[in-house]
Amino acid sequence: MKVKVATKILEANDRIAAENRKIFDGAGVFVVNLMSGPGAGKTSLLERTLAAKGGLRVGVVEGDIAGSDDAERIEKYGAPVVQINTGGACHLDANMISDVLGDLPLDELDVLFIENVGNLVCPAEFKVGEDMKVMLLSVAEGHDKPLKYPLMFQESAALILNKIDLLPYTDVDVGKIRKDAQSLNPGLRIFEVSCRTGAGIDEWVAWLGREAEKS
Amino acid sequence: MHEVSIAANLIEIVSEQCRKGGYLRIESINLKLGRASGIMPDALLFAFDAMKTDSPARDAVLMVEEVPVSGRCGGCGGTFTVQEEYVLHCPLCGGGSFQIVGGRELDIVDMEVSE
Repeated sequence: MKVKVATKILEANDRIAAENRKIFDGAGVFVVNLMSGPGAGKTSLLERTLAAKGGLRVGVVEGDIAGSDDAERIEKYGAPVVQINTGGACHLDANMISDVLGDLPLDELDVLFIENVGNLVCPAEFKVGEDMKVMLLSVAEGHDKPLKYPLMFQESAALILNKIDLLPYTDVDVGKIRKDAQSLNPGLRIFEVSCRTGAGIDEWVAWLGREAEKS
Repeated sequence: MHEVSIAANLIEIVSEQCRKGGYLRIESINLKLGRASGIMPDALLFAFDAMKTDSPARDAVLMVEEVPVSGRCGGCGGTFTVQEEYVLHCPLCGGGSFQIVGGRELDIVDMEVSE
């Protein structure tokens, strides 16, 4: 006998993400799902953002397969931080975020960063309750990445091109990254930064503040 | 790369529906999988077969229909289907004002059950 199912496989995750979003909205927190491949500089960007944030009250959820190195780096800036260890899973999902909501002072935050597991593929598929997705790509990863991993570029509101201080030592074509990424996603905002030198950070933080205020 | 999570969700959804309907077991499941969904059919089949053992889907066959990426162009008014996983320009007029309408599916269509 044939039975109609007509269900999206990620429906359960999307439902929990919508519940998380309601809690975030109720607390007045603007939530950013921060994604990139391993080593592109997500935690470094957060460190720079925390140092330059002015009056913005920022909290962080750190997602890693194992370890608490990232949370320890964030703690030094006095920001509330919760570490999630996925124990092998290649991405954060809405349920993992739902489990740690009680550990964060949401009412005292303007912006919450959810730093996803380093992976250029899977995190793009799973909503966690965010207002927007932001991705990083370091210039050392090469200009072929937008077309090899289109989904994350399509899902993100902003692309942070990190490690621009390395440009003199690489053959990367930043123009191609910009052109391909914006063809995939015409509304994509692109920031060129160096978390090592601090270049471009002020512009990113100012934009983040404006986006958080808008919501 | 997250085909295991997708397979786990899939098995949970069909098992729940099987229990609710009072059916004995699931014979087969029809899926629609968009080519731009980021899911590899072979990896999903492998994960499904490894994870289905303790569920009502333990003998089920997974049938995957791949859905190509398709779109509608605001510039020329045409509709198109491509073989790639992404579209950079409208393949009909070369313009940039197009909308993707298909290719991201991760949907369970129906299943064959026995009572």
